[in-house]
Amino acid sequence: MREDYNPTRPLVMHIDLNSCFATVEQQARPMLRGRPVAILNRRTEHTAIVTCSYEAKAVGIKTGMSFKEAKRLCPKLVALESDPAKYRHVYRKLMVIMNDYSPSVTMKSIDEGVIDFSQSPAAIQDRDMVEVAKEIKRRLKTEIGCAMRCNIGIAPNRFLAKTAAGLNKPDGLNVISCENLREIMGKLTLQDLTGIASRNEQRLNQVGIYTPLQFLDADAVALSKIVFKSICGDQWHQRLRGWEVDDVHYDLKTCGRQYVIESRDLNRVEVARRMHHLAEAVGVKLRSQNKCARGVGIYVRLHGEDGGSASNGRWGHKGNYWHEKFLAPLPFYSNGAIWAITSRLLAHVPPGDIREIGVHCYHLTNGMSDQLALFGDALIREQQMTSAVDEINRRYGDRTVHSADTLGTGFYVKQKIPFGSTRYL
Amino acid sequence: MNDEIFLNERVEVIAVFNDGVSSCRPVRFKRKNGREIEVTEIGLYHPTAAGRRTVHVFDVTDGGADYRLEFDSERLTWLLTLEADRV
Repeated sequence: MREDYNPTRPLVMHIDLNSCFATVEQQARPMLRGRPVAILNRRTEHTAIVTCSYEAKAVGIKTGMSFKEAKRLCPKLVALESDPAKYRHVYRKLMVIMNDYSPSVTMKSIDEGVIDFSQSPAAIQDRDMVEVAKEIKRRLKTEIGCAMRCNIGIAPNRFLAKTAAGLNKPDGLNVISCENLREIMGKLTLQDLTGIASRNEQRLNQVGIYTPLQFLDADAVALSKIVFKSICGDQWHQRLRGWEVDDVHYDLKTCGRQYVIESRDLNRVEVARRMHHLAEAVGVKLRSQNKCARGVGIYVRLHGEDGGSASNGRWGHKGNYWHEKFLAPLPFYSNGAIWAITSRLLAHVPPGDIREIGVHCYHLTNGMSDQLALFGDALIREQQMTSAVDEINRRYGDRTVHSADTLGTGFYVKQKIPFGSTRYL
Repeated sequence: MNDEIFLNERVEVIAVFNDGVSSCRPVRFKRKNGREIEVTEIGLYHPTAAGRRTVHVFDVTDGGADYRLEFDSERLTWLLTLEADRV
């Protein structure tokens, strides 16, 4: 365990596009620049805001707020439905720019990424990192558009680089090194640190840690044995000191999709059709990652707080969240197999008005299972059918071929932006 | 909410093809009603896939409204698909 601060030159750069989707829309539509803009996944009053422009943030509009509430705060708010194709294009452009500087680039999500300059050629590594950051900002404007802005943070590790990127929004550029680490930490609150939300803050408060500086000075053993009660404590101890603990790759554990029902009075047959649509979408996602699954889980969230009896173990803490899953003996990956299990589980959904539905596959394994071929002609036919349908959809566009049951559901259940992971971009 | 009008209108377009970062640039287009629109800025260009077909999308403005022009690279057609925020 290293007690000192990482003294190496800051060579990790975190790049975060400012209010990405709203900025991209303002870039695409010059008449929107300087105006409050909100991006929604669906243009209804009760939908939540995915992101908003800085002009909207200035009047108190926040991500996650309902559009109705935001409109009350700012009657001139312009609402736009998200356009994933546009954001994917900007993501790819950003990635091209970042890849010019190092072979070690990690995209953390659709609007942020990390460049590790320690892997760069000497000619790039020897340059002043602040100058490189300014060059990236310039390239963003010339290669994507003049309205594009980003926050850049430079530090010895990923965590501090992300912290630095969040210091001066929008269009910020900050460096954290062992020299100014204590000064910067002194200006922050615990919740300003990525990974510290209300629960972790409470844990830290319970042992008398109320500021990032106290957190930084905390003993590694106390953090791991008392506060976090796991290896996370040691990791926090190292992370705060600028040592790298976050350069890790996580395997895909589950693969799923959710949908918020568009109308409260939708009957169960229609809900099942939307669930079928989700099951097909999950199948496509699963196969795009060359994975098989053994389990399928579904959930529904009902309107209101009172769901059913909490005694059967399928109800969540709030009482309006119900879930059920099934683990099959053999792996599968076809839409038909996923839907067969989903529809069986769906029969157990409790009564009530459904607000949200979701399907996910779990127990994922690599490869689209040649072993299935051992189990007979029916499975081989299913395998061939699935690859033929996937090929048609690749050639002529998504959902060119789909089950008759989901005819028309595509109008409601649209493909939206996958947050967090960049696997599906 | 917003004054976007979604269209599917064939338009005549004068475009410049040159070298550089943005190699194709629509500069003027004529609508079915005869109105001619001068493009003063290309906000964003992005390609989208319609199956294996590539459609090139140009979000443009004439300084008074925003428009979306789509060029189908296989059919060689231009479509006006959006008009918004007319002042």
